[in-house]
Amino acid sequence: MNWAEIYPLLWQSTLETFWMVLPSAIIAQILGMLLGVWLSVTAPGGLRPNPLVNRSLDAVVNIGRSLPFIILLVILIPVTRLIVHTSIGSTAATVPLTIAAIPFVARLVDGALRDVPQGVTEAARAMGATNSQIVRKVLLPEALPALVNSFTVMLISLIGYSAMAGAIGGGGLGDLAIRYGYQRFETEVMIATVLVLLLLVQGVQWLGDRAARTLDHR
Amino acid sequence: MSSDTAPLAALTFEHLSKTYPNQAQPALNNLNLSVPRGSRLGIIGRSGAGKSTLVRLISGLEQPESGRLLIDGENPAQLSAAQRRNRQARTGLVFQHFNLLLQRTVLGNVTLPLELQGVPRAERERRALALLDKVGLAPYAKRYPAQLSGGQKQRVGIARALVTNPTLLLADEATSALDPETSASILQLLTDLQRERDLTLVIVTHQMEVVRAATTHVAVLDSGHLVETGDTRQVIASPQHPVTRALLEAHRPAVTPGNGQMLRLVTLANLGAQTLSTLARLQASVVQAQAHPLGVDAWLLLPNTVSEAELGALSGAAAPALKLSPLAEVL
Ligand SMILES: Nc1ncnc2c1ncn2[C@@H]1O[C@H](COP(=O)(O)OP(=O)(O)OP(=O)(O)O)[C@@H](O)[C@H]1O
Ligand SMILES: [Mg+2]
Repeated sequence: MNWAEIYPLLWQSTLETFWMVLPSAIIAQILGMLLGVWLSVTAPGGLRPNPLVNRSLDAVVNIGRSLPFIILLVILIPVTRLIVHTSIGSTAATVPLTIAAIPFVARLVDGALRDVPQGVTEAARAMGATNSQIVRKVLLPEALPALVNSFTVMLISLIGYSAMAGAIGGGGLGDLAIRYGYQRFETEVMIATVLVLLLLVQGVQWLGDRAARTLDHR
Repeated sequence: MSSDTAPLAALTFEHLSKTYPNQAQPALNNLNLSVPRGSRLGIIGRSGAGKSTLVRLISGLEQPESGRLLIDGENPAQLSAAQRRNRQARTGLVFQHFNLLLQRTVLGNVTLPLELQGVPRAERERRALALLDKVGLAPYAKRYPAQLSGGQKQRVGIARALVTNPTLLLADEATSALDPETSASILQLLTDLQRERDLTLVIVTHQMEVVRAATTHVAVLDSGHLVETGDTRQVIASPQHPVTRALLEAHRPAVTPGNGQMLRLVTLANLGAQTLSTLARLQASVVQAQAHPLGVDAWLLLPNTVSEAELGALSGAAAPALKLSPLAEVL
């Protein structure tokens, strides 16, 4: 294949990857953050310790994180059908991608919030802050650079995961590499795809690091 | 109650005890004390004596296990959650490690207590800037805490504690993380603000110099017990409890008085010509001296024939005119 043939394929697949990864990342960040806040609030020594809730959430997060993505992809097919009314294609792939990323984000957010020094939380409590004010005005803003870092890590993992979504006809760069590079021995396509993926990951990492650094006043 | 003209105490502790979960020894054991409004109370004791626990009880970070705590005659335990938060907002707290929000600017830190109260932005910034000006940090409003020195951070901490116009200000080891010179300026700032705003100031410390420099009353804690309390100058002049004496002598210079001599700690107004000539007349030599906002703490080596009255006159000259009201013991 020559470049003129590869280029539109690459472009199309890159867009598909974006379409799978970006909405999933945004939704997963929001839901994962809620779960992470809940985890850290109910933790021992948290704002409202609740061992039962905390241990249950912890178990759910652990199960979610230990399931291999490829298995999640298959067992979630009925759920995907329910939510987006189809179980194949890029749109369908966003459902398992989002669900795979939520526990991942939750764990990172939980850690980021715990890293906010206890003294700062106590200062707010002594000012008469409610728990919800402490979360919104103290914990989340103080953890912002760590939250940005967790978003970057998650985005990069999702780019990796999205390559597997080809298994359900999800399209994207990974799918392109498998179909042309592996199954049809089009080595150039394989190399070009790997290069684009590499650039994408590097770019996301660079942007994420930059954003975190700009936002970090510590 | 209408005939009750006696001024309400700022703080009253009645049989106040606190034991932390899973601890055998109580951190505070049957504390009885009343702190007059407008006084500067020093709470001193060795590590683990229960000083921070007392501050945490007053600021509502911990609840008493038994006994009562009254702030301006009000028992926080009998207030609704919202009233209790309101009470907390009107009690300023200054910390050893500042506990500033690192992702907020200096101004953002000082406005936070007002933001939590729902005060409109323009108003809270106006009030915060006025206080930053007061503590000498107005030009630093847009900086972040990480860009400040320790002393500057503590000034931000003090501005933040006062922005809600509290009547009670608690400072837990507020100068312990600072060098001596900066400590002195922070203590000076606290005493100035206390006088100006007629605050009740509670200063927790393990250093007698701090008590001497900045307080009118002192309470000595040991293993959760209140072992001595009274007027600061009186307690320093004639400490009754061994722990108080030990704390007073922590900085005793390693000098053994000769025959017929004694080593005494005296607070002098200054080391100017007049003081020096008085010292010469008494045949006293200064072994060690440390300056602080209210004078100079001097260890004197002098003949033991010098009377207490003469010593009192020496330190009496140094004593600033303080409004003292007796620290009444409850029950
Ligand atoms: N959160 C806690 N849980 C259990 N025990 C505690 C807790 N906080 C304090 N203690 C214990 O209570 C006692 C009093 O502690 P507190 O912090 O009030 O002492 P302190 O006088 O402030 O000491 P320091 O000068 O070291 O700050 C100590 O024995 C301490 O170990
Ligand atoms: Mg302490």
